[in-house]
Amino acid sequence: MEPTALTLAGSTDAALESFLNEEIRHLIAPPPESANSFTALLGLPRTRAIELLHSPETPNSPGVAVSGNPTRPYFNCLGDGGGGFAFAADSELVVPAARYSVFAGEKNDSLETSSQKVKNEPLTESDSNHNSSSQPLVSDPTVENKGQRPPKRKDREKKGKASAKKSKNESSEVAEELPYVHVRARRGQATDSHSLAERARREKINARMKLLQELVPGCSKVALLGTWCIDKPQQHSEGSEISGTATVLDEIINHVQSLQRQVELLSMRLAAVNPRVDFNMDSIFAAENVSLVESNFPSMVMPLMWPDVQVNGSRQQYHQQWQFNSLPPPVWGREQDNHNYVTPENSLLSYDSPANSASLHSRATENGAMKVD
Amino acid sequence: MKNPQRSPTNPGSVRSRFTQVFLQSLLRIRKHSPASSSSSSSLGEFLKRCHRVKVAAYVSMARAAGTRRAWSRAMLWRVRHDAHRHRLLQGRCSRSSSRERSPGKKKRRTKKKKKRRDDQEHGFGNAEKLQKLVPGGEAMDFSCLLDETAHYIKCLVTQVKVMRSIADFYSL
Repeated sequence: MEPTALTLAGSTDAALESFLNEEIRHLIAPPPESANSFTALLGLPRTRAIELLHSPETPNSPGVAVSGNPTRPYFNCLGDGGGGFAFAADSELVVPAARYSVFAGEKNDSLETSSQKVKNEPLTESDSNHNSSSQPLVSDPTVENKGQRPPKRKDREKKGKASAKKSKNESSEVAEELPYVHVRARRGQATDSHSLAERARREKINARMKLLQELVPGCSKVALLGTWCIDKPQQHSEGSEISGTATVLDEIINHVQSLQRQVELLSMRLAAVNPRVDFNMDSIFAAENVSLVESNFPSMVMPLMWPDVQVNGSRQQYHQQWQFNSLPPPVWGREQDNHNYVTPENSLLSYDSPANSASLHSRATENGAMKVD
Repeated sequence: MKNPQRSPTNPGSVRSRFTQVFLQSLLRIRKHSPASSSSSSSLGEFLKRCHRVKVAAYVSMARAAGTRRAWSRAMLWRVRHDAHRHRLLQGRCSRSSSRERSPGKKKRRTKKKKKRRDDQEHGFGNAEKLQKLVPGGEAMDFSCLLDETAHYIKCLVTQVKVMRSIADFYSL
């Protein structure tokens, strides 16, 4: 600690002096206000701190770098961290200086190690870049700030951690009220840019989920729209037990699976439909357009095939049967039947026997039995 | 034949494109399949034809959707490489390099999938299911996946409608 402090002191003394001189000249209020912040940290009585600060003020310009007080290094460090206290470390007050040294040592550790509360002050004042921030820090006249600041810091910390728009607004508001918080606002903005990006992403996802909800039939929109609160993805609203996202995704997955199953089913029907029929493209297109636009079956179609009245009924049975996505061998038996009435039920059953699994076979036989009826 | 009372909504739409391509492919399948297959069709041949029809449906849908969509590209790629692998297994092609290439690509896909897992905030487990359902979904983050799913559902619905109308057309 000391060697570093010494080096710091040695290198930056001149710059520090000038810097701190300017600071002090620009002070609206006496430096005790800066002491206030430190007293809050150091646990010193305010008056004592004010005394200590006031006393070194006078020998400010010339006498700072001269004294070879061993305790000074601490305070130069602290002076890097806090404008007034470098002068408090003056040799005139050895005893309180010693006291300060203890506190300063402790506080340096605490300052440099962890808590965000304390960090900002060395941060704000050690860098010459943060002149403006340190000025207002010192310039706060009201004593009340001391009481206000720690809770505000805590609030800001909490809000900085909360990834919500509130944090950005409030940190910026706090920054406006208490300009010495600029660094903290910047840190908050750093986290807030992440939260902003996250929020934008979440909005994007929510918009797409809404689109999907409209596409997928059977999504209860009323119950689920309430869950699309952007800022509160974990909260449940409108009594949905599972989170809205999960339910909607389930619906989507089920819908996609059912559509894929329908495609398989229809492909089987088409494969079985007719080897003999010649596709009349024009008629098909006309039929397609008519059927698709009017959603009617083309009534003018010549029955190129033998009419299969049981197609609809069998289709429903297919749907019941289809619990799995794999190729449904039991269905093909019906297809065979569909496209060729002549095929007797016996042949249907005989075709079933080489089926893949016994369960399929049993299902096929069930269907065969049902069809007979 | 009746003239359609309403003109088709959009001649260049996915539906009409799909219809065209699909019917052409169906014709091809009809030609390739044995002529008198109604009575002599065995289980295996029938299943093969079903599979071919299904593949043709998906391929024509992917072509109709265009290559701008990730899922259509992924589906076409998958079909092409499945065909490759199929031929390799049957011993018609001797390109071992392609065989090694496709599992490599699949490995890459699974790696991407594991990496993307962090992106899935909500609907964690369900997003994986959805990725498996939607072709090419494994290599996407959640928002892209939702986008592709929406388009995929739209195309699937169209496909089902067209296929059903064709099947009804020929079964009536």
